[in-house]
Amino acid sequence: MNNIIETHNLARRFGRTDAVDNLSLSVPEGSIYAFLGPNGAGKTTTIKMLLNILQPTSGSAEILGVDSTRLGPGEFASIGYVSENQKLPEWMTVGQLIDYCRPMYPGWDTAFCEKLRVQFDLPLDRKLKAFSRGMKMKASLLSSLAYRPRLLVLDEPFTGLDPLVRDEFIRGMLELSGEGNWTVFISSHDIDEVERLADWVGIINGGHLKLAESAESLQARFRRVECVVGADTTRLPASLPPSWLIAEIAGHSVRYVESLYQPESSEAKLREVFPGATQISVSAMSLRDIFLALARTYRLSNPTEIK
Amino acid sequence: MLPFQIQFKTGLPAYGQVVYSVKKAIISGGLKPGDKFPSVRTLSQELRINPNTAHKVVAALVNEKLLEVRPGIGTIVADARPSTREQRSDLLGDDVERVVVQAKKLQLDIGDVQQAIRKHWDLLS
Repeated sequence: MNNIIETHNLARRFGRTDAVDNLSLSVPEGSIYAFLGPNGAGKTTTIKMLLNILQPTSGSAEILGVDSTRLGPGEFASIGYVSENQKLPEWMTVGQLIDYCRPMYPGWDTAFCEKLRVQFDLPLDRKLKAFSRGMKMKASLLSSLAYRPRLLVLDEPFTGLDPLVRDEFIRGMLELSGEGNWTVFISSHDIDEVERLADWVGIINGGHLKLAESAESLQARFRRVECVVGADTTRLPASLPPSWLIAEIAGHSVRYVESLYQPESSEAKLREVFPGATQISVSAMSLRDIFLALARTYRLSNPTEIK
Repeated sequence: MLPFQIQFKTGLPAYGQVVYSVKKAIISGGLKPGDKFPSVRTLSQELRINPNTAHKVVAALVNEKLLEVRPGIGTIVADARPSTREQRSDLLGDDVERVVVQAKKLQLDIGDVQQAIRKHWDLLS
């Protein structure tokens, strides 16, 4: 499979701060890639380097096979970009915004644009500055979808949107799903909205890529394990298998997340640590639960970790 | 609105769950031969699943001859052979699995489970 985005040891330093450090990631063409991490992890900085809004301090990135610092109008006509902090020309009406964007994109699809405008409930003659945050995000998405980009880059698109607008936003984004090899790269601090949509997950923390894996493989190797341990066990042993995450004991119930699950070996490992274990239950985890388990493990939300 | 019901369960791959729900609707009569089946895009939008997953679902059901692609119309529910007792019984699979898992957790044996099922069966007879 081809990668539509590829970075090699990408780094960006602001003063003495490494906002992004040694980041190498690959986004396969045709995927919906969730790029997750807490606020301040380096998501926006990464995206800005991908789109040549920021220059890397070192390392490189290739988008659509072109070095990010050489991206030109030809490539930008195939990339849609919507960001949380997008600046829109607020004095324009929706109609003026559409007229303004259309000539810049050879692939602009007028009928599709109109369909989205109606779907998004955006009145042509209303000025953008009169819009709520949600309406502005929809206008922004409209102007990024109407030319049917091959790659859609969304930076924290759901922040501050109410559930109805989030839903409209996702439906709008999926309008492009009929296109062959259409790719979405979406950053978020939570996996909530993209849980079943994402087929690839990358997690960044403190400027470092902590994990990059297909959703399928993540769901295959993570399991929540619960069991009841013998009466003489009241606390967890000092050393536990390294693949066990967030192990806890309450009364005689033990619970942990096995991050390298294999039916036989995982049970053998459990019996080794707790020979008297009974009522063993092993359950599959949602992508969201896996993300939360990892987040707790990396202390993703601990600000002292963010360098 | 989608012509079948689905309640996603945590942790299981969406693909299997959607295929299962569609089969359930076809076998139980919620979807009848000739009914229009939603497009990949609609499936993906309504269920918020990855379009590639939605595509896989439709391809699998077409492959099993439960759905049929009609050029110019889209995908429809195929002329079904009447569902067999075995097919209908397969639909219990998920529920049975849940009972068995729970029973094992409680360290019951198959006799206990049979007895429990019998009790509830009689209640509803």
